[in-house]
Amino acid sequence: MLGSVPTTPKSLEDYRPVIGDERAEELRALAEPLKGARVLHVNATAFGGGVAEILSTMVPLLNDIGLNADWQVIKGAEEFFNVTKAMHNSLQGMYYDWTPAAREIWLNYNKLNADLVDDSYDFVIIHDPQPAAVLSFLDERQGSHHGKWVWRCHIDLTDAQVQVWDFLRPHVEAYDAAIFTLPDYVKDDLTGPSIFCVPPAIDPLSPKNVPLPQETVDGILRRYSVDPARPIIAQVSRFDPWKDPLGVIDVYRHAKIEFPELQLVMIASMASDDPEGWDWYERTVRRAGEDWDIHILSNLNGVGNIEVNAFQRSARVVIQKSVREGFGLVVSEALWKGRPVVAGNVGGIPLQIIEGETGHLVNTGPECAERVLSLLHNPDEADRMGANGVEFVRDRFLTTRYLRDYLAIFNQLAGTGAAQAQSLKPGLHVRS
Amino acid sequence: MYGTLALSHRALDDLSDSAGVRTIEELRALARPIEGLRVLNLSVTGFGTGTAELLNSSVPLLTDLGLDCSWQVVRTSEEFAHVARAMYQALGGVYVPWTQEMTDTWLSYAAMNADLLTEPFDVVIVHDPQPSAIRSFVADPGAMKWVLHCHLDLSTAQDDVWLQMREHIEPYDAVIMESEHFLRPDMPAPMRIVPPAIDPNSPRNMPLPDDVVRTVLERYGIDPDRPLVVQVSPCDAASDLMGAVECCGALYDEFPGLQIALILMTEPHDPASRQCYEQLARRSADDPRVFVLSMGDEFGNVEINVFQRAADVVLQKGLRKGYGMWISDALWKRRPCVVAPVGGLPEQVIDGETGIVADSNEEFTQAIRTLLRNRGLAEQYGENGRRHVAQRFLITRYLRDYLEILNELHRSR
Repeated sequence: MLGSVPTTPKSLEDYRPVIGDERAEELRALAEPLKGARVLHVNATAFGGGVAEILSTMVPLLNDIGLNADWQVIKGAEEFFNVTKAMHNSLQGMYYDWTPAAREIWLNYNKLNADLVDDSYDFVIIHDPQPAAVLSFLDERQGSHHGKWVWRCHIDLTDAQVQVWDFLRPHVEAYDAAIFTLPDYVKDDLTGPSIFCVPPAIDPLSPKNVPLPQETVDGILRRYSVDPARPIIAQVSRFDPWKDPLGVIDVYRHAKIEFPELQLVMIASMASDDPEGWDWYERTVRRAGEDWDIHILSNLNGVGNIEVNAFQRSARVVIQKSVREGFGLVVSEALWKGRPVVAGNVGGIPLQIIEGETGHLVNTGPECAERVLSLLHNPDEADRMGANGVEFVRDRFLTTRYLRDYLAIFNQLAGTGAAQAQSLKPGLHVRS
Repeated sequence: MYGTLALSHRALDDLSDSAGVRTIEELRALARPIEGLRVLNLSVTGFGTGTAELLNSSVPLLTDLGLDCSWQVVRTSEEFAHVARAMYQALGGVYVPWTQEMTDTWLSYAAMNADLLTEPFDVVIVHDPQPSAIRSFVADPGAMKWVLHCHLDLSTAQDDVWLQMREHIEPYDAVIMESEHFLRPDMPAPMRIVPPAIDPNSPRNMPLPDDVVRTVLERYGIDPDRPLVVQVSPCDAASDLMGAVECCGALYDEFPGLQIALILMTEPHDPASRQCYEQLARRSADDPRVFVLSMGDEFGNVEINVFQRAADVVLQKGLRKGYGMWISDALWKRRPCVVAPVGGLPEQVIDGETGIVADSNEEFTQAIRTLLRNRGLAEQYGENGRRHVAQRFLITRYLRDYLEILNELHRSR
């Protein structure tokens, strides 16, 4: 058996006040035909990373709603994880010398895990490339597999190194279904499994999204020397060229001419082992110069979930000036706080921003500055977009929608008919 | 020019609620004779260390006091960082095989950084010994006063590493250490003791309404109505995280609702720490009463604040070196603390007065039991702890120490 990961119980009913009765009932209806179905999620690590974060919510919710879900992690030694880390990077576009030795390590550990995996589940979801070959080894050993096997790919394969993808592809093709984050991430040459797209989601009950009383929000701002009484614009992003931190400062400077009281808050998540991040941090600080209305904060001086929460809530306008982006879930996070977002028209951002309704999509610095200014000039318009954003995210980008997509996919794979009754959202089901 | 850091403006007057108006006036009076003094603080890193945290508060406050105070970080690279880490370990008493090559790297970066000191300053304060050799390469070091503020415990420093460094420190105008207990017998240069301090106005210590505390705890799966023991510490073997879990585990029968939260301030860096993290992770997976939270990218200052405020008992089961100032953060919040007799911990927790000093696991268990049973005593310790920190460990006391030293250096020009 693989290593089991226990989770803290969660209850769908805690989400009911947030999502409303109709959506809660829809989830119950979708779960009904799947009552007692045994679901196994398998990934590489129980701690850290976005996948573990999603599973720590999904697994207890599946259990709460009547399925029987487990989460297990594969076994592997340092040599295996070194290979999978490099493999992961190369599938995202970095070059990796995919040597015969590396292939062998990857295959050996997958084979070992195939011997350990429990095939009696109704649905097995294998996350990301690390354990992807477990199924082909299982099939090889016993000729077939019992339940429906799903490969869940959380990474962007657009620029995947051909050699690595070609090696991985036959192992993925053994699956009954594959789930990607965005239609763009699906490789054209992938045939075999039914393909679905499930975009990521935010957890409205997490500390980053929990409602905070105004006095606490203002108190937090003051402790970071930000004046809650003056207008604020904010961007929450790493410091790297793709998030254009220098461009954000230029946008602020432009808006500052008309709004001399304006403050800019930039919050970055920095990694100590990321020299490029440091380089861009310093460039950003230099661009800010001695304008003390520009506040540059990061996790390294202890800015965490609750601070991000408070700053997002306090911003008149939230900026996400990306020039290249994965999904950009931080946009939904800001929308959920009732703030309009002006963001780069790239990656998953256009799925989250309805132009003129929840914010603005922009392609250039001047365009961004103009949109930010117009929202600063029209606070009612900004509030209206913010309110739209909350409803839009409630409908599309909460954990419960993520759960719903999974239930719909399980229903479809099991042929219960429930998924057809609750038809999949347009764009979700790409091809099968 | 060195690397710049983002700082915020701070107003000293905002501290008058915590420290009293008189203290603020005293500080202003002390600062008057050195108004405009050009002070450069130099450190190896801008983040993630106690040193960086102190500078983050003290530099803007000294600026508000009228000094021309700045903070810059030395230019380094991976090879220097490697040597600096080894040096940090050796000075902390962990044996490191030191090579001539390491000395060469160390000195070449000192020389390179010396060339970057192009602006005029009256005083250069070098934080921690890693950048201390810069002075030796500056063309006219006598044109400014040089101070080494060493935030490390040097009492068990490795001889060869210390002796080569000592040579470069000797001509300094002053060396600041955090505690009498952290000295070597052969300290060079005139010595000062300046204990570290906490900033009562930092997000980690700001007051928070009860409902916010409750809500945040619930979001982390903790029941605010059940007793909670909290330890905030680096993720290293010396912090004895598993020991903390065992001590609480021994009390499950007596206090069936007991919960323990371990907040890790650093990532596990070395094999021993990684092993300790792994053990802890497995334990928390099997025991729903144990919560492990890492201050990685998401868990921040306000969360630490919440957990400390909510704690029925705050633990410090062990400590590798230094002060462990997060205990003062807890005392400031009037929390009863149980600490090991290590480093600067007993200076913060006076046994039987501001908390309990315990040694063995049994003593820790007994102390936690006492504080959970005897709420009156726990409250008394909390009150005493707050007063103790107010007198000895607030940032205003730190600023006073600094102003006195800077005045003296200024007079001796």
